[in-house]
Amino acid sequence: MLIIGTGHIQLISCKRFTRVCRMAKLQMDENDRVSVAGRIVARRAFGKLAFLTLRDDSGTIQLYCEKERLVNDQFEQLKNHVDVGDILGASGSLKRTEKGELSVLVNSFAILTKSLLPLPDKYHGLTDVDKRYRQRYVDMIANPEVADVFRKRAKIVSEIRKTVESLGFVEVETPVLQGAAGGAEARPFVTYHNSLGRDLYLRIATELHLKRMLVGGFEKVYEIGRIFRNEGISTRHNPEFTTIEMYEAFSDYQSMMNMTEEIVTRCALAVHGKLTIDYQGVEINLERPWRSETMHNLVKETTGIDFSELGNDLKVAKEVTLRGLGVGLDNKDKSAIEASPSLGNLLNEVFEITVEPKLLQPTFVLDYPIEISPLAKPHRRHAGLTERFELFICGRELANAFSELTDPLDQRSRLEEQVRQHNEKRAVHVAETSGEEENLKQNEDTSYEVTLDDDFLTALEYGMPPASGMGLGIDRLVMLLTNSASIRDVIAFPVLKIQQ
Amino acid sequence: MEGSVEETAKAVSKLAVDSSVDPSAPEETISKNALKKAMKNKQKEEERRRKEEEKAKQAAVKASSQSQKPATDDEDMDPTQYFENRLKYLATKKADGKNPYPHKFFVTLTILEYIEKFESLNNGEHLESETVSLAGRIMSKRASSSKLFFYDLHGAGAKVQVMTDARFKMQCSFCFSFAHAEDPSNKWLDSKSGMDEVEFSKFHSSVKRGDIVGVSGFPGKTKRGELSIFPRTFVVLSHCLHMMPRQKAAPGADNANVKKTDIWVPGSTRNPETYILKDQETRYRQRYLDLMLNLEVRQIFKTRSKIISYIRKFLDDLDFLEVETPMMNMIAGGAAARPFVTHHNDLNMKLYMRIAPELYLKELVVGGLERVYEIGKQFRNEGIDLTHNPEFTTCEFYMAFADYNDLMDLTEKMLSGMVKEITGGYKIKYHANGLDKDPIEIDFTPPFRRIDMIEELDKVANLQIPKDLSSDEANKYLADVCLKFDIKCPPPLTTARLLDKLVGHFLEETCVNPTFIINHPEIMSPLAKWHRSKPSLTERFELFINKHELCNAYTELNDPVVQRQRFAEQLKDRQSGDDEAMALDETFCTALEYGLPPTGGWGLGIDRLSMLFTDSQNIKEVLLFPAMKPQDETSAKAAETSEV
Repeated sequence: MLIIGTGHIQLISCKRFTRVCRMAKLQMDENDRVSVAGRIVARRAFGKLAFLTLRDDSGTIQLYCEKERLVNDQFEQLKNHVDVGDILGASGSLKRTEKGELSVLVNSFAILTKSLLPLPDKYHGLTDVDKRYRQRYVDMIANPEVADVFRKRAKIVSEIRKTVESLGFVEVETPVLQGAAGGAEARPFVTYHNSLGRDLYLRIATELHLKRMLVGGFEKVYEIGRIFRNEGISTRHNPEFTTIEMYEAFSDYQSMMNMTEEIVTRCALAVHGKLTIDYQGVEINLERPWRSETMHNLVKETTGIDFSELGNDLKVAKEVTLRGLGVGLDNKDKSAIEASPSLGNLLNEVFEITVEPKLLQPTFVLDYPIEISPLAKPHRRHAGLTERFELFICGRELANAFSELTDPLDQRSRLEEQVRQHNEKRAVHVAETSGEEENLKQNEDTSYEVTLDDDFLTALEYGMPPASGMGLGIDRLVMLLTNSASIRDVIAFPVLKIQQ
Repeated sequence: MEGSVEETAKAVSKLAVDSSVDPSAPEETISKNALKKAMKNKQKEEERRRKEEEKAKQAAVKASSQSQKPATDDEDMDPTQYFENRLKYLATKKADGKNPYPHKFFVTLTILEYIEKFESLNNGEHLESETVSLAGRIMSKRASSSKLFFYDLHGAGAKVQVMTDARFKMQCSFCFSFAHAEDPSNKWLDSKSGMDEVEFSKFHSSVKRGDIVGVSGFPGKTKRGELSIFPRTFVVLSHCLHMMPRQKAAPGADNANVKKTDIWVPGSTRNPETYILKDQETRYRQRYLDLMLNLEVRQIFKTRSKIISYIRKFLDDLDFLEVETPMMNMIAGGAAARPFVTHHNDLNMKLYMRIAPELYLKELVVGGLERVYEIGKQFRNEGIDLTHNPEFTTCEFYMAFADYNDLMDLTEKMLSGMVKEITGGYKIKYHANGLDKDPIEIDFTPPFRRIDMIEELDKVANLQIPKDLSSDEANKYLADVCLKFDIKCPPPLTTARLLDKLVGHFLEETCVNPTFIINHPEIMSPLAKWHRSKPSLTERFELFINKHELCNAYTELNDPVVQRQRFAEQLKDRQSGDDEAMALDETFCTALEYGLPPTGGWGLGIDRLSMLFTDSQNIKEVLLFPAMKPQDETSAKAAETSEV
């Protein structure tokens, strides 16, 4: 039996209250004895009768409190001390009211925890967006569907794990704190380890360490984990986010396309039970197979510019491009095109400006230029391209994969080139701003160091098997499958600006 | 041979090259030795040429099984020279327009599957009608003649012999044209006519130990009963440009495939001193070498993965929800430790790496997620030693409407069930006192022993600790006790720290089998709820195994007023110089004001648990890439001179 509350917080063992709202509704007959616990979200009290709506993790149930039925003087206590927001344990029997609502006819109750602060406006919920993110728990109390997003998120992550483990992949953990942040191009977070007396970087990708595992003889590995990038926040970007990266020996990017389809469709089925889903008013069809098309063809299709016929003169190519795209360009796009250091970069810029936003239905974009794919293997048939694809859904990049570069010499020269280009850009910015504080800050995009991960190159020299690898942004997948407009809706505690 | 292994190991890690000669392998100067070997090879070849083919093969098998003849004539070379030769070799291939790094190899079976499928063949039986494709790394190469090479192919934690015979007119290739790469059956390899003996010999002398190859051929067993694959095609998929530390010729290790019984199983003891690659620095810094050369290392990480899967399944089955909370916070709360600091440029904001996910998880319980857990990294800016790494993995779970008694039951169920499932029994063997001493046995049979902290201290050390632990009197009493028993406690001498030392001295030492130490004083437990019947104590337990803390759990403090008081007391300790006292988190206290249901919270160190399962005395054994001191050129050189 319940310990009877005396206004004191009482401890009650979990065995007495387990998800009873759901159980009560599904399994129990009238007159069964039940104990329930949860938060009171609504309260109506009359002379000798009170109705409380109790919510737990599994749903809500009505508490039917009659003065005569309650032991001792509990009815008075209920009227005077029990408020919306309080966490209450109650026991009694099941009863269907005249209106047909299943309720608990309460014999006794205990206030388990008193809420000292008022909940936001009972049924209209919490609408202050900033407060929703800063005090996620209030958001979840006020808007039950918010908790559903996180339940679905857990389901999606679990489904991904199930899928890849059923295919023989082993989960590993690689370091977050690293001597050199490699595997992507992004500004890293820097921290300092006191006893080692050195700077450490927070990882910007798991790629380079997972590839070391391939060298070590693990043939199928994956890691689901947090990645950190020291960049601005937006509806699509949070400084820390979650990805799965997976690597498979002896296969190529074709096999990763199957894998991507498999993962995304299984997750969609786990959450929705079907493959046609709605995202922000757009119907997305995830039936396989998905469209796959090369970047060259997509750009040609959209803009009429055929990059394979542009020749090797970058300057001419830029002119043709600017003429071809015409007046539709804003200044930002124009300068991005003008700043492209190579044909590959130029193609990518045009792709991002003209094609990307139009890729609403799932599309694999294939065969990226080598200049923007420093870790991908050269294409087996087309010089200047790599065996790489990205998956786009709703105009957003969801996954990125390639046949992995295994040649240590090629890899070294590509990474060195990356460092060289970065330093060049950095030098230009420093020169342009000539040390002016204000400007320096604006151009901080390049004000970090890019270092070469020599240990990784050494590992490659020991021989990495031919392999394919894929990275998928889990937050973005959750956004898609929960119809969430912002990444902040799928991260329980997103990073926010400091409150003024 | 042992010396040469270590030598190579050191060389690859750019540490000292030990030039001393191992007495067990009487070798003279490098050039002389190489010459001798070359001559011996030549002699042998001439001899064999006279014999009939079948006989030659038999002899070859025998020779190889005794691993007397490493055909790798350049393995005594200086590592730098070796590396440069390999680079030159690749360069010539590239100059010929060939791609030495193919895009794909279609594997039909893993090596482990291959062994399972064909283990039952009779000695001498060949299944020439079958074609299988395997891929892996060559860890041993033996040439019995220029026409017959034996390789050990390693992959998926197992190995199989590859017997290549020039008579098969096989197609060997170290690269292939792109047009062929898409054929899933690898049949393109057969499309060209096989190579002649000269080509064959030339090709195989270019294949080095450490190379990754794909082979397609038929299964069979040698006359001596070794399961092998007899390839019709042989492709080098990736090249090992460095000299691979050499396999030790241990008795019995040269024959047969890795049997399942030979594989180390979790819960049994290990002996890293018998490893092929022993040098700890190299093992940890270049884990991939460790994994290649020391087969059971792979099992350590598989065990770790099994542990995590077990926990996940255990909690999922109880309807817990896995969540992710931030690793970067404005305040590092939930524990007492020095955090890492970083800076967000765009927001111009100072951020701390989390030291525990506790406060966020409790906020989610406030929000109505009644059972949540998170398995993830925590970060503490502390020294590195045998049990500490700056980042480590924990599991924390929070369960509304549960208390610490429930959690003790759950802990017993989880851990004993895990040990049973992963090791097959309740007892594990562990070298608690060093590798040179006998291992101890740790018994996970439930229920676990439970001891009350203060009561037991009073009893064991014959004390009468004052009931009011926050008093000055208690502080003085405990300081005197420490003095009396000569227990060192570095300042500041707060009551919490003194008690901690006493518990370490008198109680933890007795906790070899899993033991709960319960009911800690409030002053030691700022986030735990007061005990329902014992004043100034809390409802908390710590689980100790092999004298180390593994779990920490309590009935959560959910009274916001008391929580604020506790934080204030921590602040006092902080001011008296204890920089490990906990900081106040205002956001968390506000969350408590919205009402946290009675909740049990629990944390487990996954690295330490993995250490127990894998007989590891150093946390680095169970971390794929442990934090290491930066390699210092000068100190490495100093080590070199002192070693020689």
